[in-house]
Parts: sequence; structure tokens; C-alpha cells
Amino acid sequence: MTSVDARLAELASAVAAPGSDPGRLVAVVAWLAAPRRGPTALRRAVVAAHERGEADPDGVGLDAVLPAAGPTDRELRAAHDVLERWASLRCRVVLVDDPAYPTRLRADWPDRDAPPLLVLRGDLASDRPAVALVGARRASGYGTGVASWLAEGAAAAGVRVVSGGAVGIDAAAHRAAVEQPGGTTVVLGCGHGIGYPRGHAQPGGLFDRVVASGGAVISEQFPDQRPRAGVVRARNRLVAALTDVTVVVEGGERSGALLTAGAAAERSREVLAVPGDVRAPGSAAPHRLLAEGVFPCLGPQQLLEQVRTAVHGVVGWSVAASTSASTSASTSPSGALDDGAPTLPGISPALSTLPDDVHAHLSTVWPRPLRPDDLATATGRPAPQVLAAITRAQVSGELTVDTDGVRLRRAPAGRQDRG
Amino acid sequence: MNGAHGCLATVHGVALVGLEPRPVRVEASMSPGLPGLRLVGLPDAAVREAGERVRTALQRRGFAWPSERLVVNLAPADLPKAGSTFDLPLAIAILVATRQLRLADGDQPWACGELGLDGTVRATVGQLPTTVGARDLGAPRLLVPDAAAPEAALVPDIEVVPVADLTEVAAVLSGERPPRAAVPAEVVDPAVGAELADVRGQAIARRAAEIAAAGGHHLLLSGPPGCGKTMLAHRLHALLPPLTFDGAQEVAALHSLAGERAPDDPLSRRPPLREPHHSVSMAGLVGGGAGVPRPGELALAHRGLLLMDELLETPRPVLDALRQPLERGEVVLNRAHARVRYPCRIQLVAATNPCPCGHLGSGGARTCTCRPDRIDRYRARLSGPLLDRLDLQLELRPVDRDALAGPPDGEPTAVVARRVAAVRELATDRWGAGTRNADVDAADVRRTCGPNVLSALADALETLGASARAFDRVLRVARTVADLDGADRIGRPHVDEALAYRLPDASVAA
Repeated sequence: MTSVDARLAELASAVAAPGSDPGRLVAVVAWLAAPRRGPTALRRAVVAAHERGEADPDGVGLDAVLPAAGPTDRELRAAHDVLERWASLRCRVVLVDDPAYPTRLRADWPDRDAPPLLVLRGDLASDRPAVALVGARRASGYGTGVASWLAEGAAAAGVRVVSGGAVGIDAAAHRAAVEQPGGTTVVLGCGHGIGYPRGHAQPGGLFDRVVASGGAVISEQFPDQRPRAGVVRARNRLVAALTDVTVVVEGGERSGALLTAGAAAERSREVLAVPGDVRAPGSAAPHRLLAEGVFPCLGPQQLLEQVRTAVHGVVGWSVAASTSASTSASTSPSGALDDGAPTLPGISPALSTLPDDVHAHLSTVWPRPLRPDDLATATGRPAPQVLAAITRAQVSGELTVDTDGVRLRRAPAGRQDRG
Repeated sequence: MNGAHGCLATVHGVALVGLEPRPVRVEASMSPGLPGLRLVGLPDAAVREAGERVRTALQRRGFAWPSERLVVNLAPADLPKAGSTFDLPLAIAILVATRQLRLADGDQPWACGELGLDGTVRATVGQLPTTVGARDLGAPRLLVPDAAAPEAALVPDIEVVPVADLTEVAAVLSGERPPRAAVPAEVVDPAVGAELADVRGQAIARRAAEIAAAGGHHLLLSGPPGCGKTMLAHRLHALLPPLTFDGAQEVAALHSLAGERAPDDPLSRRPPLREPHHSVSMAGLVGGGAGVPRPGELALAHRGLLLMDELLETPRPVLDALRQPLERGEVVLNRAHARVRYPCRIQLVAATNPCPCGHLGSGGARTCTCRPDRIDRYRARLSGPLLDRLDLQLELRPVDRDALAGPPDGEPTAVVARRVAAVRELATDRWGAGTRNADVDAADVRRTCGPNVLSALADALETLGASARAFDRVLRVARTVADLDGADRIGRPHVDEALAYRLPDASVAA
């Protein structure tokens, strides 16, 4: 029995976030792993304890709920399995009373729906200002284009981009932000052990790239929780709760992005919506928000303006953190924010590998894509020439090509300051 | 040895194992015993029935059926014989064995054809390969059914004698009547086919068709319904240069074997175009059937175009069966009794919808209603070894109404076909007769590259996240692009253009 205890302690210290108590982690996981229990049950128990006056009014209240006698053997065995799985997935767990637990979420515990623990790979960087970019999996070329534009602009200014792990808008935002200073956080709608969506979770896929570049992939679920609808919906409120501003880029009438927007509004966080094509079904969600009086999102510059306003007013965003950041030179994330300018110049025609007229046409329609055929027609150039030029610009990173056509990867010079 | 029981008669026939001819000796002899016919030598059901047909046919034409025991041997005994083509050799052998027909000394005639009960000689499938086979096996002269004579007479260096019925057979063989001359079927050059200029507002698609035709590259077309995939494939077919006489004859032989052409059809120099429905079975595609398997769609598209519409609706095992024949240029069918090879040097044009509902990326009025993970799964079916063999990959879009109503914005078929023919000639000069750029070993193509082109291509593929297997594929297309450009060495612009004919990565597109 002692060897089992030793093994469990070893696992717990491997999985516990730095500076937190492994014994406490075992106790919480053991409690959660028992039948008919879970994060919500734990939260309710804490609320009940507060109401009964049993919990310390300033603490998180876990002590009042966890049995003083410690977990049963059966609970310990269940905890062992879960911890072992997390350890093999190289995850760390942050408990609600750990110092590393995000300040923005702490405000929600236990009255609103904050999770008792967060399971993460990578660096959450929760002291950075953060923006949620959310939208549907079924995204248009315009939608993914705007999502990348906003994500790259925000992350370049040191703002953390947060979104779900799905294809479409989520993936476009992560891809654009991944190499930027602000980095990006993926909030999974399932456990870390599920590997969903498969294309992103495979070795060397998007999730690995996010972690490798200083971002984070997080989940509030046990490792083998499947992406059931309820779990995915719950993920959306976490995206909103982790950020200062939520932008709904694209989504249908019943898109989960509306849930994210709702969760943000509940927490008095700013919500923006990206205007789209009024005929497109993917514009339904943002347009409904616009109709309800939400501000339109007009570009990275305006988005950063909103983040800046929000950061200084949001409950739970400590003034100390904010001031210490702004004093520690312009390398600090929010220092960059205060300096204002997103330092991402669009490529001017002179520096472009594209012929001037091709660049001009792509700039005019940006961020919408243009089909190679239309590009040939518009410029009057023969097809072989246009195709060769597209390939060269794609290799140099200036263009992206997808099913909708080709598009400049960055805003053309002179289009940045529209916000 | 022959004694009172008549002489031992030998007549030659041809058995086909695929296109490969095998000589069959039909030997007949009478022996004492109860009247009857005994057929030996691995005959199939159709051959065994020949006894009844021959007996009735002979009697109807006034010949006598012997009142002794007849033994007929089809040699070699280990070769399976199928079909009714041995009726005529059998009848001749019996006539000689019963001394009702006297041949010139040492004459062992070659013959093929089925007999009707009334004694007429009827055509069977595969007359062309049978005649070619007889010639290759050393036959100076071949008796063929009247109806099949035009097809047989296409074969040079063999005397083809048309015969209408058993009476004429006996008269010709005994020298009573001079043989008639056979009139070969007409050889026709293809007229200008489907008009390329009809493809409007899709300059890149026209260009891809030109490259595909010039280099013999396989082509993948992805696009929503009604965007002109089939239309483009037909234009590509029209751009292909006409076949040589030998090529046309080989194609006709395969079609004749499959019963796909009438014996008096003119011999067309137009490369074949086969469009099997996507529900095609394995046997329908690669060939099959009882006994000696018949050619399937792959072999019937030999030297031409195989258009597989709705590629992703085709069952996976059938798709997988495509791979080896595409690689080797022949189909090999192994059966219990025979191992058959059919040539299938084809150009594959595969068409598919971009997603299950078909409307992904079509823009405008129709929008895709597929769940993104279904799109991923749908596209994942395309990936892998088959996709790697499709040199040119093209996304087609519906053309807007203005372009459709406007004047043609591209060159006509005849003009483009001339360029295609010129590139084919270049390829023949460079690689040898009949070899297209798509057929060449990649190492040979690499030798025709300009400086730094190979390293630039490797860099580009890495940046674009394409598989290393795409390397040789892109290079072969670049060779054709350079040829169309009149360039001796492959340069950067050629490689850059070749790189553009790839489908965008599915995961990025989603």
C-alpha cells in the first residue's frame, strides 16, 4: 500500500502546477473522480458550504467540502488512473486556489461557473491582456481571412488570443497568432486524451505548434472526456471568461459563438461582432449581435483600443499587475499595448514578389480571396504567368491559397488603420 | 496408321489468352467403335457443344456423318479452350478425316469461326487479335467468317479468305473455287472533336487540359456539379493526337475481344474515351469473366482516356485496384487456368465533388451544407497513393453567366492540338517513340533541369507543406510546361506553374 501511495505522490507532483500542493491535488481529483461527482457538484458543494457558513469567507472553500479523513481507497485508485493519464500526456493541473489560477476566472468561483481545476499544456500567460476570437467551424474565406487578420494584429501587440480548438474560425485565429509575441490559447471541448479534432491534435499538428511556440492548450475536463455537445458548450463560457474582449467573427443562427458572447456579457466583458455579407448564413450570429447593439469590430487597431479600455476597468484584472507591466519597459505585453501600434506593416507593392497589377487587384478585394481565373481575367495576364506568380508568392509567405481562392496574408499597406 | 479408317487430319486454330495468341491443333481421326464423337483436350462447354453444331451443320450441307467412332483432339491438351471459334477447324478436320474433302499434299489449313446449324460460318468476338495471332504464329492464310472479313483484312502480311458457309469452305479448300478477296475495313482519321473554345472564363482549366494532353499526365478535377468537369475531359480527349495504325489496331483488337465493336466498323485513329459509371465493379474495371478473363474498362481505354466521374463515390477496393495498372501500364489477371495481361497505358481523368454535398467553395447562391469533419473525411479518401499519381490537380468553379454568354475567350481545339502534337514529337525525339513526358523516369527528367531548379523545387515543396512524393510529379509536369514554352531546360517559371496545379491542403482549406 505504501508503494502505491509513493507512486501516487510521485504522479501528483509531476502533474501539479509549480508551487501548488500535490496532496491537495490528489484530494481534489479523488473527490471529483468518485461516481456522480464532477466539477459542477464540487462547485455546488462549496456554495452550500458558504451558505451554511462552514467555509472561510475569504478562501475558495474547498477545505469545507473535502472530507477531513481523506479519500477512500477506491477514490484514490480512480485518482491514480486519472493522474497517470495526465502525466503521460504531459499535462499540468492548476487548482482554483493555486496562485497560477487565472485571476479572471477566480472572480467566477464559486458563484459563477468557474472550473475547480484547469488542465494545461504550455504556458497560459494569464497576466497578459486577452481577446477571444470565436466563430463557426463552417467558415467562409472572408471569415477565416478576418480572423487571421485580427489574431495576427492582436498577438503582434502582445495580446493573448484565445479560442476553441475547432476547425474554421478557431483554427484560423490560432494559426495567425501562433508565432506572434502574444501567443495563443486553445480551449478544448474535450479531455486532453481524446485528440479532437484529429488533424489538430496529431503529433506536429496545430496543438503541438501552439504549445511549442509558448502558447497553451487547456481543458477543464478529465483526460478521456469526449466532446459531447454539453461539454463543448461549456467550453465556450470558459473562452469568454478567460478574456477581456470577445469578438464573434462568423457563425450561423444557432452558433456556439453566441453562447460565448452571452457568457462574456454576463461577466460584463466587452463583445464585438464582425460585420459580414448580409446574404451569407455565416453572418447570422454577428449580425444578430450587431442588431442588439453590440459594437462592430472594424480591425485590429480598434480591437486593441477596446482591449486597452477593458484592461484598465475589468474586475479581477489587478491594478498592480497592470502597473508593474507598464513600468517594465516595452518588452512586457501590456507595455506593448500602451505603446499602441501593432507593428505589422502590410507588404507594399514595391517589396512584393507579385507583379504590381496582381498585387493591386488582391489589395482591392482584401481580405476576400480571389480565384486565380478571375485574377487572370482582371489583369489580362496569361494563365501560366498568373499561376507561377501565385506559387512564388505562396512560397514567400505573402499569399495563402485555399478552396476559396488566393488572398494576401496580411493587410495591404494603407488598409491597416481602417479601425 | 490411317489404314481403312481414313486419314489423320490436322487443322490449325488460334486460342487467345488475353491478347496473346496460342496455336491450337485440331486433330481428327476415325477409329472402330460405336458411332459418336469424342472431344478431348480441355474443351469448355461452348467447345463441347461444337460437336452437336458441327454434326447438324455438316448433314444440312449434304455431307455424311461417319458411322464409326470419331476422335477429335484439341492440342495442346493443357491449354484451356473457350468459345465457338473452333467450330470451323473442327468441321474441316472431320471432313478431311472422313475423306469427304481432299487437301493438297501437306496442307494444314488455318481457320476460325462459329457454325450455324444450317452450315453458315458466323463471326465471333476477337477476330482482329485472332488474325494478328495467326499471322504471328506463321499462318500464311486464314479462313475467316464472311462477316468478320473486313476486320481480319486490316492485318497485313496474311491472306484472309472470307467464307460464307461449309459448301464454300469445301470448294475453296479443295481448289474447286478460287478464294474471294477480303475488303479491309476503312481507316478513318478523327474529325476535330469537342471545341475547347466552348470552355469560357476558365483559362486555367484550358491550360491544364493542354498540359495534360501534351504530356499524357493524369488529371484530377474537383468542383461542384455543373462546373464543366465532364465538358473539360471531353475537350482534353479532343486534344489528343491521333493513334498510329499499329496503335489503332491494338486498340481495336482489345475492343473486338470485349465484343465492343462490330467486325465491319471502320478502324478509328481516335484514342478511346471510356467513361465507366462510378458504380463500376472490380471485374468491370480491370477485366474478368469465366474462363479467360475479358478486358475491362482499363484495357478498353488503352492509349486513350479513362474518365472516372465521382471518383470518391467509387468503392475503395476498386480505387485501389487502379493503382498498379496505372503504374505498370498493363493489367495482369491471374486465374486458375490462365494468367492474362492486357495493356492499359491510359491517361486517367478523375472528377470529384469538393465535398459530399458538392457546393463547397462554389460561392454565390449555393452554399455548402456539409459538416466540416465530413468534408475532412471525404477529402481524406482522396489522399494517399492514388492522389500521388494524379499529376495535375485542378479546382473548377462554376462559371458566371457573363462569361458563358460572352464570346469565346480562348483558342480553338485545332490550334491547341497542334501545340500538343508538337510537344509529343519533342518527347518522342527526346525519350523514344511513344514515350510521353508522364511516362519518363524521374531521374531522366532531372537531367533536363536548369541550374538551381531542383533545390528551389525542394524548398518550395517544404514551405508549402507538400509531400516529398510530389517532387517527381511536379517535375514531369514542369517538363511539359517547358516543352510548351519551347524551352530546352526546365526553368523556375515552369516549376512554379507546375506547382500551382495542386489541390489546396484540406486541413488548411477547412
